[in-house]
Amino acid sequence: MSDLGRVLRADARRTALVFAVPILALAGVATAWQATLAGLPGVAYWDNTVVALASAVRLLGPCAAALAAWVAVREHRLDYLRGLTPRSPAIGPLLDLMLLTGVALAAYGVVALVTVCDTLLREGAGRPHPLGIVAGAAALAPHVVLGYLCGRIAPFPMVVLPVAGAAGLWTALRGGGWWSLLPPAAIRPVELFTGLRTRVLADQTLWALGLAATLTLAYVWTLTRRRTLAVPLAVAVAVTAISTVRLEASGGSAVVPAPIDHVCREWPLTVCVHPALRPALPALDAAMTPLAARLAGTPGAFSRVEQRPVGEPARIWRGVAYIRVPDLSPGFEWRAVRELRASLIDAQSCAEPHRRHGAAYRGLVDAWLLDERAPEMFDAETARRFGSWSERERRLWLRLNYADYRRCTLVRQSFGG
Amino acid sequence: MIVENSTVVARGLAVRRAGRWLLRPATFGVRAGVVGLAGPAKTGKSTLLATLATLRRPHSGSLEILGFDIGDNTSLRSIRARIGFLPEHFSWAANLTVGQFVAYAAYYKCVPGDRVRAVLERMELADTTSMELSLLPPDVRLRVGLAATCVHGPDLVLLDEPLAGLDERATAEITALLPTLAPTVLVTAEDSAALGRCDQLFTVTRGRLVETSRAPDAACAGGRDRV
Repeated sequence: MSDLGRVLRADARRTALVFAVPILALAGVATAWQATLAGLPGVAYWDNTVVALASAVRLLGPCAAALAAWVAVREHRLDYLRGLTPRSPAIGPLLDLMLLTGVALAAYGVVALVTVCDTLLREGAGRPHPLGIVAGAAALAPHVVLGYLCGRIAPFPMVVLPVAGAAGLWTALRGGGWWSLLPPAAIRPVELFTGLRTRVLADQTLWALGLAATLTLAYVWTLTRRRTLAVPLAVAVAVTAISTVRLEASGGSAVVPAPIDHVCREWPLTVCVHPALRPALPALDAAMTPLAARLAGTPGAFSRVEQRPVGEPARIWRGVAYIRVPDLSPGFEWRAVRELRASLIDAQSCAEPHRRHGAAYRGLVDAWLLDERAPEMFDAETARRFGSWSERERRLWLRLNYADYRRCTLVRQSFGG
Repeated sequence: MIVENSTVVARGLAVRRAGRWLLRPATFGVRAGVVGLAGPAKTGKSTLLATLATLRRPHSGSLEILGFDIGDNTSLRSIRARIGFLPEHFSWAANLTVGQFVAYAAYYKCVPGDRVRAVLERMELADTTSMELSLLPPDVRLRVGLAATCVHGPDLVLLDEPLAGLDERATAEITALLPTLAPTVLVTAEDSAALGRCDQLFTVTRGRLVETSRAPDAACAGGRDRV
């Protein structure tokens, strides 16, 4: 083993960095897992893998900063050996930073590996974002450097707490706007039909690396006063400034609409969804088919179901039912059917007070359309009569009375009373 | 008094810390040999020693060490290559062995690995090379600190209270070792009597540094049998 290797190993042992990796990795995996669950339940989407990693960095960053401050305080006590050296006076701090960055990256690597494997095992949709993973790793660098420098400037054990607190506040207090895109970025779960902006990820990477390089070079300059550092320092400052301006210009949005090709199931209905929801096809088909059959022959008839982005309303238009399925949490198919059924009615007309009775009759029909139990209503005789009809009779009746059903203008006579 | 070839030459040197004068402006020279710096606790001896070790900047005045001005950055590296400094409560790594610790110092002092074995033998530590520092008694741990401080064969060694807490036998052994460490060894202690006989003795009280006269033939115990 080389002399440098022996020194690095001694530093790693002295500062217990070997134990730091599993602890940081465990905390990071737990955070990423929580972010995955909070994102799109049941949906494996590569963009949200990056979001989960960004969430992990929001915890790992302050932890790495606190660790770096603690190591700096410990290593400060060895300045009588490391400072009085014919080598560059920056060699000790740079070796520390190298070790600490290695530790943070090793922990992040474990988190990234677990998260990526999880997405792969669940056949994640979309496309992988290597740049997103790099951006998360880069965001750790300024944390490590800043924490370490704080420990060098104020070499007291108590400095660890304010460092962790300040890093935590920086992470927690940037709720919105373009500030939230500065690493460690606060990115909301990416909805389906949208994707992360590659440019934002690139700017975040440059910002983090630029800031880490600026701080490191400035500190090395204070130790060595070498004029040759001026050029790389200026470049690092420029990179940080330019990436800041570009992030500000992004308007605080990390996602853009991402057109995709649906995946479809052709029988008995044609149901098309986002590729991330491929497992949902059988359930959606099974839930939508009865409704489609009952609406056949009416203006609300449809023979194709197509998933749309969450921001668009559910509706039926020219034989196509556009539905919303934000995630695959239990009961997603019935929520989609209810939304579609709700889109059938004229909300404005039904909201009028004198259509109260019409709305009650409509509820009777709704229960049949959704295969639900008929509600208690004031006109028990009509409810009994409607309940006694066969499926075929009800479908014929709906074709004749669809307009009244839609506008909530049904009366007792509509049911032959 | 400054004489020709003084190892340390300070002119108007002043050291302040937290708004308090630890050393009021003083002009003095440190000659070759074992030099004592005595004074009560918390009078700034450690800070003055750290200043002479170039780890702190003086508040005012000029300081030349081994013929180099510490104000010149290019000189600073040359000075540091020839200095050894051991603070009072020197940090060691409890889980490192003696050999690993001295090798760690050797890397920063830019000396090859075979010098480690040589300095350990010189300090009579060859048998303890593979022992962890936390398992060693204080006097042996001090010897390890001295080995790490002197692994590069410095011209000036600065030792802050090395004898504090040692028993009589260990004090005698370490005192005998001091003149062998470097041409100039500056040692601090609360009581000048603890330093034995020195070639030059300073006392610091209330921020004032005074060179105390000694018998002209005075020499530290153990003589000047420098290796």
